Amino acid sequence: MALIETFHLSHLPSSYAVHAALYRDVQNASFLRQQLLSGNTEFEYAFLDATSIISTMHALAAAFRATNDFMNNRLRSRNVHSETVFCLSPNNNIADSFRRFGVNDTTTNLLVIKICTGGEITTDGVRTHLSRAVDGAAVPFIDESLRSMTDLAKIKKIYKIGTSNNVGSAGKRNKSDISPTGSQMVLNGNQAELKERKELEVAILGLMALRGAT
Amino acid sequence: MAAATDNPPADITENLPDLPPSTLLPPLFNNTNPPPELLTQGAEALLYRTTYLVPSIPCALKHRPSKPYRHPILDARLTKQRILAEARVLAKCRREGVNVPAVYALDWEKGWLLMEWIEGGTVRSILDRWLHSTPVGVDASKRESELKDLMSRVGQTVGELHRAGVVHGDLTTSNLMLKPVSTADDTLASSHEEEGKQHQEQREQHLQGEVVVIDFGLAMQSVQDEDRAVDLYVLERAFGSTHPRAENLFQEVLRAYGESFKGAKVVLRRLEDVRMRGRKKSMIG
Amino acid sequence: MIAIGLEGSANKLGVGLIRHPPKGGPAQILANIRHTYNSPPGEGFLPKDTAKHHRSWVVNLVKQALKEAGVSAADVDCICYTKGPGMGAPLQSAAIAARMLSLLWDKPLVGVNHCVGHIEMGREITGANNPVVLYVSGGNTQVIAYAEQRYRIFGEALDIAVGNCLDRFARTLEIPNDPAPGYNIEQLAKKGKHLLDLPYTVKGMDCSFSGILASIDVLAAQLKANPNQTDALTGEPITAADLCFSLQETVFAMLVEITERAMAHVGSNQVLVVGGVGCNERLQEMMGLMAKDRGGSVYATDERFCIDNGIMIAHAGLLAYRTGCQTALNDSTCTQRYRTDEVLVKWRD
Repeated sequence: MALIETFHLSHLPSSYAVHAALYRDVQNASFLRQQLLSGNTEFEYAFLDATSIISTMHALAAAFRATNDFMNNRLRSRNVHSETVFCLSPNNNIADSFRRFGVNDTTTNLLVIKICTGGEITTDGVRTHLSRAVDGAAVPFIDESLRSMTDLAKIKKIYKIGTSNNVGSAGKRNKSDISPTGSQMVLNGNQAELKERKELEVAILGLMALRGAT
Repeated sequence: MAAATDNPPADITENLPDLPPSTLLPPLFNNTNPPPELLTQGAEALLYRTTYLVPSIPCALKHRPSKPYRHPILDARLTKQRILAEARVLAKCRREGVNVPAVYALDWEKGWLLMEWIEGGTVRSILDRWLHSTPVGVDASKRESELKDLMSRVGQTVGELHRAGVVHGDLTTSNLMLKPVSTADDTLASSHEEEGKQHQEQREQHLQGEVVVIDFGLAMQSVQDEDRAVDLYVLERAFGSTHPRAENLFQEVLRAYGESFKGAKVVLRRLEDVRMRGRKKSMIG
Repeated sequence: MIAIGLEGSANKLGVGLIRHPPKGGPAQILANIRHTYNSPPGEGFLPKDTAKHHRSWVVNLVKQALKEAGVSAADVDCICYTKGPGMGAPLQSAAIAARMLSLLWDKPLVGVNHCVGHIEMGREITGANNPVVLYVSGGNTQVIAYAEQRYRIFGEALDIAVGNCLDRFARTLEIPNDPAPGYNIEQLAKKGKHLLDLPYTVKGMDCSFSGILASIDVLAAQLKANPNQTDALTGEPITAADLCFSLQETVFAMLVEITERAMAHVGSNQVLVVGGVGCNERLQEMMGLMAKDRGGSVYATDERFCIDNGIMIAHAGLLAYRTGCQTALNDSTCTQRYRTDEVLVKWRD
């Protein structure tokens, strides 16, 4: 049974809902992709490869921008779902964004996003359809689930972060623990790793926000 | 013989049409419940507190409204240019490891920017409190060293900012915040748990935390010594006018700045020239 | 008390007579006359020719002013003249005349700062008590606010004055200089409607105009070479009127912006616009829209007072004289650079 998390994202009209469902061990990725490509209207979702997603906020941020652009008649792609995939991208290449973030034939970790603007589709409706359509193990749409799926190296490569002069935030944070009065906590290894992940996340959000600015 | 004040000219605003105020929220945020809370209203932009995506993530909303007096094409161009410039500078700073709010979302056509909410108070309010009295639980000598340490961190942070190739343009103690140290957080959603009472007390006794630079509305990307020196000069004048007893503390800011990056000492020498020139080229009236 | 004022810092020679009633009350304008030296279209006015013009007209204007006012030399308490800032030779011409009158009539001299003259006359005429002042003319562009006996400069043009920018563009277009090049630009701009892309240069509280002048000159040259250019947005033909329109919209937006910043900084909602460019109706309108949005007010004087004139020198001079200031003959020099904030405004607290 699908586990649907439904969000009414801040600032979007109350009739707008963003539904998210996360799956492990998906067996029918190619089938789902095929439905998308053939434009099957029952399959109007954003199907994302979860290994490219660093956190729940990462995905929701994309949904938010896509919806805002939709509300302002600024879609660069076909619909708000394809736009959600595109909004994850750091650049304007739509085809690339599908390759990097969209479901591909070998996807086993799948994040599904459904954006409803009119309130006609309910959480139950989404749950029913996805339970039928996706052949995989539903897991809660929370950061812990995503953490085990994320391919950090791939993400860093996509967003071009984590090279020598970019988010070397571990190096930066260390400065704070040589302060003479020891007014900063010294960060242990695990905390440093978590900090680095957070810096990566905000860097990604910044890139997504600035995408397309000329 | 006419009195100078015979038939004084009318107030020009009286003959102008009524237009909607420029202080309205961007349309998207009219749906928001609870509505964004107005924090400051400057000549350029309005700053609100609201949430990003979910109620548990607080954020700041900066809105550059349309100006009624500008030609609409010029207005759109300037609004877009400025909000974009600010977002870019913030993202660049953050990428280089400078403590600034993170950029969450942006709509340059509508002139708004959502960014990370920075908890804590301004360095200005801290100096106001700490310079006029010693807080409970802190003895006087400790107070001096805590303040000095804070100044050192201010100098270091400004140095990091300049090293990243950015000049702030409006460095005052109101644009520097002290963000309390929080426990480890990995993603945005978990970074704003309620602080324990222990942390609260600690914060009031010690000036622990990270110095965060905010309000990059006048910032620009520059590596010129002149621009960097003017940045320091503005901060120095701000210190002088709002915290007159803190002048020796400012020396600590400059000392730490001088050691924060290669080339910082050259900027300090340039600062002497800027001081002599006085008002021209700087912003404080 | 009665003062006579001589103004000649640029191409306008003005003579004014003012009376400050003994028991206070509004100042009385006894005479305010002016003669302008206009160069032919396409040319600016040169210091040498301007000074010659002032020298030939000053005696005439002084006599006429006295006659209009119905006063004699004996009635005058002091002789005020523009000490600066301005152009050297023209300033000198008026100063020499002032010194001559001082010796002839045996009356004290008072050297006056031209900008302070504009400010004080503006305050008197409009009744605006403590406004942020935008002083814009061919030679000056400053945003000023009063604090602790000084007119402090909050923002200014870093290179050339806005009026200078407009005047030079008038020369580029070879528009007549009579009655004033800026006035003719204004009239032409009213017929324009396409906003062309021009550099917008506000930096903090300051602004600069040489960049935009260079750009608009290029556009004018392009238009002259190819009169059939069309606007990218509408496809309609571009005219010189559109150039004037675009220039005004852009430079005035810059001025309104730095004025608004100063207002926010000092916490004031009143604006006073003085100086020749202050006569421009579009600038007044834009300033008004900004102030109205903030719930404030904007005051400007008409061409009798916003354009350089003698009465403002007489007024500011008399205010200073009444606090005990005067300028000894040996010190009655002129200076091309004289910052507004150098003057100690003893007549205000």
